[in-house]
Amino acid sequence: MSRGFLIRVGALARKEIIHIIRDVRVIYMALGLPVVMLILFGYAVSFDLDRLPFALVDQDRTPASRRLVEALTGSDSFTVAVRLDDPRAVEPYFRSNRLKVGLVIPPGFGRRLQRGEVAEAQLLLDGADGTTTSIALGYAAGVGQAETRRLLAKTGLLGDLGLRDRVRLRFNPGMKSARFIVPGLIAAILAIMAVLLTALTVAREWERGSMEQLFATPVRRVEVVVGKLLPYVAIGMVQVLLVVAMGSLVFAVPVTGSLGLLFGAALLFLLGMLGQGVFISVVTRNQQVATQVGLLSSMLPTLLLSGFLTPVENMPLLLRAIAAILPARYFIQVLRGVMLKGNGLRELWPDLLALLAFALAMVAISTARFKRRLD
Amino acid sequence: MSGPTGAGPVIEVRDLTKRFGAFTAVDRVGFEVHAGEILGYLGANGAGKSTTIRMLCGLLAPTAGTALVAGVDVSRHPQKVKRLIGYMSQRFSLYLDLSAAENLDFFGGAQGLAGRRLRARSQAVLEQVGLLAHRDTRTGDLPGGWRQRLALACAILHEPHLLFLDEPTAGVDPVSRRSFWQLVRGLVRAGTTVLVTTHYMDEAEYCDRVGLMVDGRLAALDTPAALKARLVPGRLFDVHGPAAGSRGRLAAIAGIQHVEPFGAGFHVRMADPSVGAGDLAGRLDAAGFPGAVIDDLEPSLEEVFLEVVEGWPAPANAPEVPA
Ligand SMILES: Nc1ncnc2c1ncn2[C@@H]1O[C@H](COP(=O)(O)OP(=O)(O)O)[C@@H](O)[C@H]1O
Ligand SMILES: [Mg+2]
Repeated sequence: MSRGFLIRVGALARKEIIHIIRDVRVIYMALGLPVVMLILFGYAVSFDLDRLPFALVDQDRTPASRRLVEALTGSDSFTVAVRLDDPRAVEPYFRSNRLKVGLVIPPGFGRRLQRGEVAEAQLLLDGADGTTTSIALGYAAGVGQAETRRLLAKTGLLGDLGLRDRVRLRFNPGMKSARFIVPGLIAAILAIMAVLLTALTVAREWERGSMEQLFATPVRRVEVVVGKLLPYVAIGMVQVLLVVAMGSLVFAVPVTGSLGLLFGAALLFLLGMLGQGVFISVVTRNQQVATQVGLLSSMLPTLLLSGFLTPVENMPLLLRAIAAILPARYFIQVLRGVMLKGNGLRELWPDLLALLAFALAMVAISTARFKRRLD
Repeated sequence: MSGPTGAGPVIEVRDLTKRFGAFTAVDRVGFEVHAGEILGYLGANGAGKSTTIRMLCGLLAPTAGTALVAGVDVSRHPQKVKRLIGYMSQRFSLYLDLSAAENLDFFGGAQGLAGRRLRARSQAVLEQVGLLAHRDTRTGDLPGGWRQRLALACAILHEPHLLFLDEPTAGVDPVSRRSFWQLVRGLVRAGTTVLVTTHYMDEAEYCDRVGLMVDGRLAALDTPAALKARLVPGRLFDVHGPAAGSRGRLAAIAGIQHVEPFGAGFHVRMADPSVGAGDLAGRLDAAGFPGAVIDDLEPSLEEVFLEVVEGWPAPANAPEVPA
């Protein structure tokens, strides 16, 4: 690294910092957006069932049916909102969106159980709200199985095989959504901010004509890219600190692994995202287009394809292929690994390598596409 | 920083051509600029002035032809050229949210200046352009003419021997334009060579030589006096007063080659240079315009330019095969 390189990169970085300091909007956006997003997602996107109301149609009215209802409501996951006599009376509640779940216990439920026959209870779900109902289904099925095992054990048909201990949730024992969401949010916030901010600032130089003035000096392309990126790397690291601290204080999301590893991964991820932003603005040379392309190319894949909300493994092949080159996906794996599982380098090096590869590729591509000439 | 080497021209351009797709923006242009000279580049919007300058600064790759700037071939070593020149682009491109001194710091750093050298140069150019008292003023708060001087300061921070100025005075009031030109002439006296474009004809009078660009071609290049003598032959008169007449009727008078409305009267050109103001008065009298006031007129570059444009063939914008 020559003295000239350092002088020129230093001049670019210093100028960029002055821009940022003078433009309070950038600071509001950089610090405000993570807080708003974290609160929004942390509270609104919840996979926890908290006293989900349901309609109970107990046509059996035996101790056995009451025990089933107790088992369901005992964990505070469900609560009985209304008691009905006819299963058909449940549908109006679904149509008017007042309830999403109904439980029908047909006559003879208790009797069948006593006789050791298969007894059926019916769970009615409003399929229009897939998320809520699938979570409800999972919970209810779990409760049902536990009940079955308990009954079977009592009748002596099934020995105590310790089945209850077979399923154990590691790393997130309470299945708290926040623990699941905060790592993904860090990735989403960093991706959106980094791509957007750099796309905007580089495109602005094209639009205002200062890029032409800059190219008439001996400044090299890689110096422009590095000088532009440095201040935003610093901002990104502050954002990581902010979100991790808030996640820990507000949502009790721990960092069980190494903080250094977390920040190292964040640095790699940021470089890739900033590089993506530079690439977009190098190609578009227009603030408005760069903003739109930047937002779309950072937000959509990070929210939908990275495993943030929905698991990558369940996606169709094409989407999995896209996810495979998505740095957010690897970053989220690292974050979940470090924050929840206390994973170290030994487990995470492939993900870190992927992040590094993406960062290098982006900086290289944007430098290559960065025409120092105007034509 | 190496200066121009030897006694040859500082800029040597031969058959320089730039095409954008099928459109030829600069068409086989050739000229030389000598050390310590101001060369003015005159032409209407879209004539190809900026494109020419950008090629000379290493910002655009020429399609054909060669350009040696301070001995460096701009097609082969565009980066090398950039260290040797100062460039003020046509669009005003300082950062408005930075102070005058911060802009200087930035462009100085981009040129590789740092530390004490940068501070000393920054101070010196601020003094030179008369902005020392405003070093901490936000550039956006400076009036247009002052910003232009600051842009010049940014371009000369690294003491280039060669300065390219692309319409440096566009959109600036006449007083600021004059003070800007005084600065430029001061630089030239100190040994800088300047290539400057403008579309203000009057500014060409500040230049040692003037090139006229029309539709991508360099139509003429000479000293202002020589251009006038060569391109505006005959004699020029200013005709005004109560009975100056109409353009069409004036043009019909024998011996009058060209009539151009000017102010309340006309500029009239006689084909025969031996015709005097008295002869013209007689002819006007005879044609029914008695009492017109007639003054001898020195042709301006405006006339030269109009002459060149009118004598120019229809724009040839399709790519031509050079003969
Ligand atoms: N990058 C470009 N792509 C296509 N056409 C261009 C480009 N730059 C300039 N031109 C065209 O070339 C012509 C000359 O432009 P320019 O050199 O800017 O003229 P001037 O500076 O004399 O006003 C114009 O018609 C302009 O539209
Ligand atoms: Mg121009």
